[in-house]
Amino acid sequence: MEAEGYVSLREFTEADAEALLEWASDPRVVRFQRRDAYTHVDEARRYIIDHVLPFCRTRGTAPSAASLGYLVARAHWGRGVATRAVSAAAEAVFAEWPWLVRLEAIADVENPASQRVLEKAGFTREGVLRRYVVLKGRPSRDVVMFSFVRGDGEVKPAEVATHS
Amino acid sequence: MNTVTLRRFDLADADAMMSWASDPVVTAFLNREPYEPVEPIAFIRDTVLPHPWFRAICLAGDGPVGEVSVTPTEDRCRAELGITLARAHWGMGVATAALKRVLATVYADLDGVERVEALVDVDNAAARRALEKAGFQQEAVMRSYCVVKGLLRDMVIYSFISTDPLVERTMHVSLSS
Repeated sequence: MEAEGYVSLREFTEADAEALLEWASDPRVVRFQRRDAYTHVDEARRYIIDHVLPFCRTRGTAPSAASLGYLVARAHWGRGVATRAVSAAAEAVFAEWPWLVRLEAIADVENPASQRVLEKAGFTREGVLRRYVVLKGRPSRDVVMFSFVRGDGEVKPAEVATHS
Repeated sequence: MNTVTLRRFDLADADAMMSWASDPVVTAFLNREPYEPVEPIAFIRDTVLPHPWFRAICLAGDGPVGEVSVTPTEDRCRAELGITLARAHWGMGVATAALKRVLATVYADLDGVERVEALVDVDNAAARRALEKAGFQQEAVMRSYCVVKGLLRDMVIYSFISTDPLVERTMHVSLSS
């Protein structure tokens, strides 16, 4: 089922804290995320300031591999938003980082929806990695490793626009 | 075959470390990057001694013939193994024996670690055999995982989970179950 309208990507700003809190506080959305759900907009703001903004500007090294992760607010599930965002992100980073060869992503073995997102976005399933991550202090989880290697085939073109 | 044991390093092992650290042909069995020759005293002092789990591989009480390390990652349950063996001791089951010793002891030493993983080049048949004989399970081939000497390499990822059964030591016949 195709999403109506289109999905675009842009960099975060501090002003996005309230919006980020919307999904970062939702236990259903962060279920398979390592860190706990946020409960206050200040946590979201700190995350953007301390983690997201510096991360976006770190271009020191030129690693051949990178890893991708994504969260979508619950209200927008089931309409292909994540798949289109992942496709757009993959296309953007392969274009912006000529040194990038491998983009990888993991999905919990009990998260088939996320596994489908990656498959539909053209990632290749490589295998199950046992006891790979600890979620919120609970017992460790098995995950499925996926990758998209430069030259794997066309990333689905837009309906998506990327602007900074 | 001599018994393989593991012990902690000390600075007095610097000379012995030269037997594998100074050999330009020796590349680390399982490390992603090509093995960088280092000045052994500084390496032992600055990297080995503060490391959470770093051991010398010894044969029958002689000096070290290699090194093995298990390094916790950002995920507390997961640690990465690296092993290097002097070339004179390849092909005799020393690595396999060392790996078995690691698996028998490391989970008790590293709190929270449930998974020891090893990344090895797809073409490194000897290292893959050693891991498999020691009981590691192959999980995936990770495509174009890293650059080694200017070439993209596929790496195989193996793991041993703390609850996996330890492989029996082959030199030992036990009559009890």
